[in-house]
Amino acid sequence: MGKDASLDPQGAQIVACDAGGTMTDVIVVDRAGSFAIGKAATTPDSQATGFCAALDDAFGPRASTDPATNVSIAGVEACVYSGTSMLNALLTGTGRRVGVITHRGEEDIFLHQRSRQTWAGYGVADLLHHVAHHRPRPLVSRRLTKGVTGRIDMFGVEAIPLYEDEVRNAVAELLAEDVEAIAVCLMFSYLNPAHEERLAELAREVIAGAGDPPVTLHLSHELAPIIREQGRLNTVVLHAAAAEPCRRQLLGIEGALRNRDYRHPLQVLLSHGGVADIRYQRLHESTFSGPIGGLLGARYLSSVTGIDNWVCADMGGTSFDVGLIMGGEPMLDREVTVTRRLFNLPTLVMDTVGAGMGMYVSIDPLTQRITLGPGSAGAEPGPVCYDLGNETPTVMDCALVTGLLNPHNYLGGKVELNTSMALKALREKCADPLGVDVHYLAEGVLDLVTSSLREHIRTVLGTRGFSAADYSLLAYGGAGPLLMAGYSSGLPFRGVATLPSAAGFSAFGAAAVDLTHRYQKSSGIIVPDGADDDWKVGMGELVNLGWDELEERARADLSSEGLDWAAASVQPLAYVRYGGQMEDLEVPSPVPRIGSAADMDALIAAFEALYERIYAEVAKHPQAGYHILELGLTVTIPKVKPRLTCHPLQDPTPTIRAVKGQRDVYHGRRWRPAPLYDMDALQPGNEVEGMAVIEAPATTLFVPPGHRVRMDEWSMLWLTSGDDQQ
Amino acid sequence: MAVSKDDLRDLFAGTLAWDKTKEIISGPKDDDRFEAVLELLQEQVRWPERILLPLREHLYIVESGGSRIVKCDCGHEFGDWRRNWKMSAAIIARDDIASMEEIYPGLRRPDPNLCEIREFICPGCGVLLDVESVPVGYPVVFDALPDIDVFYDDWLGRPLEDHQDCEDRTAEIISKWAKPLL
Repeated sequence: MGKDASLDPQGAQIVACDAGGTMTDVIVVDRAGSFAIGKAATTPDSQATGFCAALDDAFGPRASTDPATNVSIAGVEACVYSGTSMLNALLTGTGRRVGVITHRGEEDIFLHQRSRQTWAGYGVADLLHHVAHHRPRPLVSRRLTKGVTGRIDMFGVEAIPLYEDEVRNAVAELLAEDVEAIAVCLMFSYLNPAHEERLAELAREVIAGAGDPPVTLHLSHELAPIIREQGRLNTVVLHAAAAEPCRRQLLGIEGALRNRDYRHPLQVLLSHGGVADIRYQRLHESTFSGPIGGLLGARYLSSVTGIDNWVCADMGGTSFDVGLIMGGEPMLDREVTVTRRLFNLPTLVMDTVGAGMGMYVSIDPLTQRITLGPGSAGAEPGPVCYDLGNETPTVMDCALVTGLLNPHNYLGGKVELNTSMALKALREKCADPLGVDVHYLAEGVLDLVTSSLREHIRTVLGTRGFSAADYSLLAYGGAGPLLMAGYSSGLPFRGVATLPSAAGFSAFGAAAVDLTHRYQKSSGIIVPDGADDDWKVGMGELVNLGWDELEERARADLSSEGLDWAAASVQPLAYVRYGGQMEDLEVPSPVPRIGSAADMDALIAAFEALYERIYAEVAKHPQAGYHILELGLTVTIPKVKPRLTCHPLQDPTPTIRAVKGQRDVYHGRRWRPAPLYDMDALQPGNEVEGMAVIEAPATTLFVPPGHRVRMDEWSMLWLTSGDDQQ
Repeated sequence: MAVSKDDLRDLFAGTLAWDKTKEIISGPKDDDRFEAVLELLQEQVRWPERILLPLREHLYIVESGGSRIVKCDCGHEFGDWRRNWKMSAAIIARDDIASMEEIYPGLRRPDPNLCEIREFICPGCGVLLDVESVPVGYPVVFDALPDIDVFYDDWLGRPLEDHQDCEDRTAEIISKWAKPLL
């Protein structure tokens, strides 16, 4: 990647945005691969405003100060949005008023819920204490949840016919409650949608009979035809409540971009790592796309650099998210927990702990020990050093008083940090009660933070049976580079790296993906050990039927978005497990369809090879046979992506332009002078010996004594310690 | 975290919103939380004795004329805190099919050969104070005998005026009931 300063505004090719709860980041990439990052406050009521402000910030002084003469982005070929607006609409109740129709007897589903939701999303302490377990607020009130008689059984056969009068009554009652959308979720509809389809016909009749109010219908077999009712129903409600309001916001952004001569449709990042036109039917798939951008960026790095195993660590103000890239691909979870609720949404796996720079630091009055969290100061009032009213010290205040952060260079100097307030709060709230020096305390807090982050990484790897020795660490997020030496220490990574674009890497990742749609449906296919050829062919026909159905939907979607099917590459997927297992693996099928027993054998062989790679050969258990309980399909159309450029290596000694001066840093219980470097002025091939501080406008890299940082030909910064120089 | 008196009152009344309740459960306790709770409870009872420790819902260990006794919020006194207060309560013992059926009809009823259900009632106000389900003939359970002086000395750092030994004296009541062997 190139440097901020070298971005050519007229050559801007890609714009990607990551709209968080408080800040909107925009990255602009030009044809040469140079980039610029812009930040602005998120504007929830009209996201176009925040988006455009961040875009202007990215263009910086190159942009005209006159709003009437904005920088034209006529040459931009793709704009990608990712953000949390849909989730916020659902959680804050600003989405549409949704009524639900489910089975008679299941009307209390939002009240009783799946028991996992009583603790889902909790940290360890709350997980262990039953008194803290609690069902989250029902997504839809009991009053708006209606039950109708009828049942499709587990084989997809009608066991009880649909009672049509009950359907008509339920719809009429919901209309009388002024609902704006009706979500329908019936059991086993993913095997046989006849009841849901008939219910929709009847509902349309009733709606038409009531004068055609603008009420939309959403059917679970169309949106999330996956086993497990709770996650399926939550997903349908999410879509019904939030998709259309969110789409309006996105169309608003697209309109604002068109005013700047942008000529293509705005695209949205989906939580499984693809992107789609904002007119995409299942827009709810974009709900949890915020944190995954970095994983996609790492996947892109893999494809370019050839390093295909990454531990991706994203550290910002409130959380520390860890995800894995294995063999060049991120891991996918098909049931995701967000805001303590389960959703049947294929989502890239990120394991999160609430540990960011805004995390509160306090002293437990009973044990007299330092306590980190719970809770975080967020962007407002922010850490004490923001001087916006918070008096409880945070991790960032510790980094400031130890000299790791430059009070005059935060966000490129836009925010002046108040060191004396941070010192005062830390002294009064933490150091004095313990009777220790405030700088000693601050360093101790940073040690505690890095050791808890290190444990989190160890847990993420260890619980999956993986070893750090097979991975390189990629640290990003605004705070990632600052503490990466600490949280990577003691873990035998192949390498530890960060990037000059660390602060905007999630937005960069959103720009680095192809246009991808993903389809899934449940199935019930069993291939016993030693099954004969006829059985395999028979089961193969069922697999083909599923794939055909998914492909038909994919063609319809692409056609509705005006995309050319001929340009798409199609990858059929099967979710395979050994008989009796609880979890399955996503297996890309090596054959387009199962036409023979040999094709089925090839699919199973692909599963076993993947299983062996993830676990071990001895863990294989073919005697139990193979179950395929879900089928999938991805459709990908290549899209323009940022270009990573490989630069010739320069002399190891940084140029004089990169040297910013010197600052005292408290490290190892004493103050020492640390040279300062400008990250944007470092050249590929340059090396910096620790102790040193390397500053960029939106991030800071700390190089402890005994460590060295080297910028490689891709402009990645590799950190090595004295005994593992690479 | 600092919890206001109003929030504490709502917490005790069971009317505090869950988000706030969860924050209190998961957060560190204030230095003065115990005092704040005592102050609130003291305001809510209609008798003057000083509450030393809330024992359970409706029951408190209070200082009364130089001794420490268990007292119900209705004012009924159960006697010395070292004697199991249940021994002085009105008791409904459900130990046969008919009495168990009154509350657990049909298949939900336990087997009276295996267990008995004891309900402990305040003789002063009739409130149900506790229920225990134990094997037949099992001694009445003494749920908690708190060492009040250790708590005030070592945890709160403000010792009470007099110290009283902390040992189970329930047997003193039982011995009065025991028939002479001869």
